[in-house]
Amino acid sequence: MELILTRTLARARAFDATAIVWTITAVLLVILIVGPTYFLVKESIFIPDEVGLIEVSGHYGLGNFIEVFTNDLYLSPIFWTVIVSISVGLLSVAVGALMAWAVARTDIPFPGMIRTGALLSFVTPPFLGAAAWVILAGPREGWLNHVYRWVTGAGPDSYIFDIFTMPGLIFVMALYVIPLVFIVALSGLNNISSDLEDASNIAGAGTLATMVGVTLPLVLPALFAGLILASLESMIIFSTPAMLAIPAGQHVMTTQIRAFMQSDDYQVGLAAAFALPMLIAAICLIWSRRKALGRRGYATIGGKGARRRPQKLGGYRWLAFALCVAPLGCSLLLPAAALGVTSIMKTYGGGLQLSNLTLEHYDFIFTNDAVSGSIWNTLLLGAMAATAGTLLAGMIAYISQRRLVRGHQFMAFLATVPIAIPGIVLAIGLFAAYTREPIVLYGTLWILFIAYLTKYLPIAFQTSNAALMSIHPELEECARILGANRLAVFAQITVPLFKAGLIASWILIFMPSIRELSSSVLLFTTKSKVVSVVILDFYEEGRLDIVSALGVMLMVITLFVVIIAYRILGRDFMRT
Amino acid sequence: MIKKVLGIALKSGVLLGLATSPAWAGGDLAMAKKEGKVVWYSSIALPIAQQMCNTFNEKKMGFECVLHRSGSGKLYKRWVQEAKSKIFEADILHTSNSGHFLTLQKQGVFIKYAPEGTEKFPAAFKGDGGYWTVLRSFAYVPAYNTTKVKAADVPTSWLDLLDPKWGGKIVNAHPSYSGSVSVGMSMLVKEFGWEFMDKLSDLKPRVVQSAVDTTTYLVRGEADITSGTASYNLFNAIKKGEKVKMLLPKEGVPFVVSPQAIFKSAPHPNAAKIFSDWLFSKEAQQILVERGLYVGHPGVKYPEGQVPLSELKLMTMSPEEATKMRNPIRDAFRKKFGV
Repeated sequence: MELILTRTLARARAFDATAIVWTITAVLLVILIVGPTYFLVKESIFIPDEVGLIEVSGHYGLGNFIEVFTNDLYLSPIFWTVIVSISVGLLSVAVGALMAWAVARTDIPFPGMIRTGALLSFVTPPFLGAAAWVILAGPREGWLNHVYRWVTGAGPDSYIFDIFTMPGLIFVMALYVIPLVFIVALSGLNNISSDLEDASNIAGAGTLATMVGVTLPLVLPALFAGLILASLESMIIFSTPAMLAIPAGQHVMTTQIRAFMQSDDYQVGLAAAFALPMLIAAICLIWSRRKALGRRGYATIGGKGARRRPQKLGGYRWLAFALCVAPLGCSLLLPAAALGVTSIMKTYGGGLQLSNLTLEHYDFIFTNDAVSGSIWNTLLLGAMAATAGTLLAGMIAYISQRRLVRGHQFMAFLATVPIAIPGIVLAIGLFAAYTREPIVLYGTLWILFIAYLTKYLPIAFQTSNAALMSIHPELEECARILGANRLAVFAQITVPLFKAGLIASWILIFMPSIRELSSSVLLFTTKSKVVSVVILDFYEEGRLDIVSALGVMLMVITLFVVIIAYRILGRDFMRT
Repeated sequence: MIKKVLGIALKSGVLLGLATSPAWAGGDLAMAKKEGKVVWYSSIALPIAQQMCNTFNEKKMGFECVLHRSGSGKLYKRWVQEAKSKIFEADILHTSNSGHFLTLQKQGVFIKYAPEGTEKFPAAFKGDGGYWTVLRSFAYVPAYNTTKVKAADVPTSWLDLLDPKWGGKIVNAHPSYSGSVSVGMSMLVKEFGWEFMDKLSDLKPRVVQSAVDTTTYLVRGEADITSGTASYNLFNAIKKGEKVKMLLPKEGVPFVVSPQAIFKSAPHPNAAKIFSDWLFSKEAQQILVERGLYVGHPGVKYPEGQVPLSELKLMTMSPEEATKMRNPIRDAFRKKFGV
């Protein structure tokens, strides 16, 4: 300790970097958030008059909004986005909350397994699930439909599952939102002591009556928060609709936005006009969620002070277990099997025979320059975004918690704002902002880096914030009194103390970054392809074999990261 | 506009290589080696494009072929977007949408270049004005899965495809994404009227992005029949042992030519020319032919099982017409098929 203090003292005399840090952080936040938002709004009111190949001239007006909100072609994606978000929200809250209740409050067998399963399906990229469900539940050749025909002896044209429908889309989307609701509801439940439930039991109420009459009202705010998160996720997701809704002949807002951006005509304005209402809806959802949760924000976990006594399910224990495992089986086991098998088959028609097995698809993804380059890009970007995001978020959290500068609330606010910016909306903003002078980032990894950094800054910020809260400022004050400046104190006192929080931040940025698609799909160029984009490309070429091989690889990487995180941080690292 | 593009290109120094020699002269190998690589924006199916690149790279010419493979529509859009951002990565464009080539040529973004030996190619394989040459061509054909469709039900006319019995069992690719679908659909609408598209959309076809994907849908048995796929892709699936078959409607089949051109803004102009020369050489053209494509080189030998070009009744369309039809087709498709 003494050594540290002497060292910090020596550095303190050099200079005090507070002002510099503040400036850098502020500038970064402007580049990451303010710039893209400004250009998003600007594009949305820009009406092109003359569109040359390179130069576009036009005037400003509300024409884009009028076009988007009066043309039936564009109203239908809006309508379906609303339907899908609400359906997925309700479905996943119903299932996710029941699962959470069963795990937190009953004597269900293997609760740890269910928790781990939920965590694993939470980190599984949804687009892999979508691709796998095409293999599983395509109406004609889906595995499950084969099973159905084999069991019932139905004719070759009959089927019970058709994944290329809106219900199919809602089902697959819900599979990957359920774990999110599960985690939120579980932490809500863990927060509430079971004294009241015990009282209800003692007074003679049964398991069901207690759950409905006591537990449910207590967790209602958490459930509402879960519903909003789930609906928001479903509104802004691009990958699953791109894979399932387009073959079904229906756009949702995100896929329509990409269609605008890819049009031969200049339709960036229409895309922006489509994106702004999405942004506003997202902000409203986040705001109402805050209202519901009070001032706790993301930190739904406090101490685990209260004891909990499990409700006895009796004979229903195994039924409950089966019901909890079903959605996990559908989001994890079946997809993994579908992708695993497809990735080693030579021809689709050949079936599972020894002569039809091959490793050529794996060989392809590691030897094809474009594909292996994208794997490298993905890992590099993930590491870059995670490192920069952790540092930035840690710094902002530190500054705002310790109230170091005036306007610290503003910095904290800016670091939280991106949570309400849907990925594809952010991408249009970045695209509009950084494809023109003075800063041209399009065509480089940097624009993707900024997208990932912005998108995942809030989660890192909240993690750091929660971790910092547990560190009492007295140690820092001690160093300050001895003459160390803020930066030195931060680096040598604070950082070592909240290492775990920083590592958690890093992982929480890295994991979603390596599967990010909704921003990447608009921002990638030839030199800057990432794995998710390559997977979508191959999916759109119908190359499910290569999609499967890449999917298996991505799943293995994710699993690897999860195991490392478990090792370092323990099971609770996702609880932020 | 031309001046503008040229200006940009000159400013970024990419035309230095050209400045020393007339645009129509062949590439200089020494300079190409210095350039180090050639970037090929190509819409040809990935395994084939990759094979072309790999074969070329094995020759160790001193510069590498770098492939960027995507759909015709996406490649066009991407190049335009990159040009707007003053990013010039692409040396060569090769897609199946000849309309795009006409648009770009009018903007003056291509150099005039006739790859070595192409003077002996049939006229249909050479673009007007010498800005582009057709690298490969194929027919846009309907096809079916032989385990799903009974012999008696096999269509003999394009109009047979509109029978309600195919409802929900037919797959169709998207004209905004796929150049061959854009051109193929244009010819069919020209032949049979807009009614053809109306009736096709009544069948509620599965809509996929790429024309390549329609074949995989058939192969997987997820669709019984497709209203149009690229013949070369089908040829390869059949060669692989998949249970699919080509349909040759009596009215003929749209013939889709896929041009190739070198950008004025090419950052590796010499490498681009040398690579182009190779792509049109007998060796490269023979690879394309083995993969089920039709080419202009008179010396190639078509593989067994390939329908000779002379046996196909071809529908054709000029790039001008294809350009005119492009947006109406895309918009009508969007309205009728929903996406």
